[in-house]
Amino acid sequence: MEILAFRGVSKRFGGQVALDDVSLEVGSGEVFGLMGPNGAGKTTLIRIGLDILRADQGQVSIFGGPLDRQALDRTAYLPEERGVYRRAKVRELLTYLGRLKGLKPAASRSAADQWLDRVGLGRVANQRVDSLSKGMTQKVQIAACLMSDPELCVLDEPFSGLDPVNVALVRTLIEERRKIGRTTVLSTHLMHQVEALCDRVALIHQGRLVVYGRLDEIRQRYSPHEVVVWSPTDLIALGLDAIRDANGAWRVTLPQSETAAGYLNALIEHGVAVDRYEPMVAKMDDIFVNLVRGSAP
Amino acid sequence: MIRPDRVTAVAKFEFLAVVKRWSYLLATFGLPLFLAGVSGVVLGAQTYFLAQRAVESSSFGLVDEAGVVDSSVFEASDSLPTWRVNAIDVVLYGSTTDAQRDLQGGKVRALYVVPPDYLETGRVQAIQSEDTPLLSMRGTTVEPMLRSLLQRSLLVDRLEDDVQARVLSPASFVRTRLTPAGDEVKSVDETIDLLVRTTIPLFLGVLLLTALLSASGYLVQTVATDKESKIVEVLLSSATPEEILAGKLIGLGAAGLIQFAVWSSMVVLVAASASAALAAFVSIPWTAVALAPLLFVLGYLFMGSLMLATAALGANAAESQKFTVGWAILAMLPLMVMVVLLDDPNGVLGQLMTWTPFTAPLTVILRLAVDPDGIAWWEVGGSVAVLVFSIGVAIRVGARLFRVGFLLTGSRPSLAELWRQAR
Repeated sequence: MEILAFRGVSKRFGGQVALDDVSLEVGSGEVFGLMGPNGAGKTTLIRIGLDILRADQGQVSIFGGPLDRQALDRTAYLPEERGVYRRAKVRELLTYLGRLKGLKPAASRSAADQWLDRVGLGRVANQRVDSLSKGMTQKVQIAACLMSDPELCVLDEPFSGLDPVNVALVRTLIEERRKIGRTTVLSTHLMHQVEALCDRVALIHQGRLVVYGRLDEIRQRYSPHEVVVWSPTDLIALGLDAIRDANGAWRVTLPQSETAAGYLNALIEHGVAVDRYEPMVAKMDDIFVNLVRGSAP
Repeated sequence: MIRPDRVTAVAKFEFLAVVKRWSYLLATFGLPLFLAGVSGVVLGAQTYFLAQRAVESSSFGLVDEAGVVDSSVFEASDSLPTWRVNAIDVVLYGSTTDAQRDLQGGKVRALYVVPPDYLETGRVQAIQSEDTPLLSMRGTTVEPMLRSLLQRSLLVDRLEDDVQARVLSPASFVRTRLTPAGDEVKSVDETIDLLVRTTIPLFLGVLLLTALLSASGYLVQTVATDKESKIVEVLLSSATPEEILAGKLIGLGAAGLIQFAVWSSMVVLVAASASAALAAFVSIPWTAVALAPLLFVLGYLFMGSLMLATAALGANAAESQKFTVGWAILAMLPLMVMVVLLDDPNGVLGQLMTWTPFTAPLTVILRLAVDPDGIAWWEVGGSVAVLVFSIGVAIRVGARLFRVGFLLTGSRPSLAELWRQAR
């Protein structure tokens, strides 16, 4: 079942096209990666999906129904432009944001305390937000986003400003959500985080959907049909379409009909000594850069 | 549909955020105390100096070279005849030389010489010593006294007593006012009447306007804070613009109402403490006082909605303030034409402003305070109805502009875009 679906969504700001006929679906329980260069239209798409902005054309459905306030209460959003009331105390701020998500006062206070402990900030609950470091403030915002246990959570660049320990904490939180069947939309420029966390991804460029699908399929689709072989045997002498790189490994282009596994078998059958063997899989970084530059990898 | 729990959450948060600020506490409780303190010091100082002056003996010399002064008012005191009125002594000298000697010796503050040709010229010579400040001499009541003495002196034995009295005091105006009942007439002192007719309405009007602008100022500030702290998207992903706008209006309105109540209470306290002295003369415009909270709330909701919407169009606090100045000026219009309203509260201008939502709260208060019987009940009711209707429109349009403006960063929407959103 799709949790969030955009069908033919377009949006203009004055004469500028922000989104052009974008259609995609976010499935239940998955971590969905939303990628794109700065100004591509990601934030506009997110805002439309959360009813902060209205689309000029197209339809948006959430939890299989229309975008209404009841449905939106089941969502949460961590915007890229972080916002907090800096003069408020940490617990007061979280309690307030929980109340805005429909939690009862007592439940909101309890969830605030629980989540502050979860992100390691229980000790600063009574401090003002402006007394916290940037990373701590970011964790307060993440706690605010997750405290209502939203069925759909949209995190825009959740790792920015965090140290490696806290990056690991946020990754754990996202993975925990997936384990209990909660859906997360992750918008980030950190491609290694996309590779590590996301089930499916969409890449938006200049307001248009450029790539959309399962992460492994996309990486496969944009991977060269090549393998890297570490072998003392001279593969060129064997007549293979290979080149030797600076590390001494052979980069071999496979025939179109051949699979990586089948090719390994064939090498061994022909008596080639194989120390190490690795199919070439495109990195998301490369796919991203090449697609944005307008050329396939 | 507006959800009450979200509105309550926003209202409570905004209310607490404002009332816990030092600036609010200072303005609400400190300002009246400060004003009361300053007034007390000023009044105390004035009273002290007046009392000091009252015990001072002020002597002036008079030389009658023309022989016209009625000397019967002068009583023998020590050596020279003296006329004592209102703690002022006028000493009648037989010669200018003696008088000038006493002036130089500091026994008299000034010397008045009625020259031989007085009847032809009407001139009286006023001589002061180098030590006597000119203003100090003029500030006394001696010259009116001497003028009155000369008038009386010239009339003595020339006219009958009653005619003489009327020449000296031709008319004493006794002011009365005819009530709508037509039969009840009460005496009104001219000075007190002026006080009642101007000071109290002006004070009430300024109080209402200050409270309105103060509460609206908090609204502008909170929108600017939301935009500058970039929490807007988080708020809008949880609550509708209408809910946020309503919550802010209620929360900050409550803070403003408390401020208004505290200020008003101070005024009531001062009035109560002065009531013993003023009760005989001053009639408090109770209808205006009773309606003031309702008019404050209505005026605040109307102006507040517009201010929130326009403040949201600003990129920062300074710009938001700039955008909302226009509304504040519109609200101040009744004070700007105060003279006209005081002179003719029920005239065309007064009636026009009663039916205009921007000016209605202040105008109704002023009209009720100046002339409670001159404004019809249907005018007050109609003005309230106009305000209620305008509030509905302002909240509706305001919430839409609020959404557009709230998310605005960088470029500003065109007027056409704003109009499209507001419809």
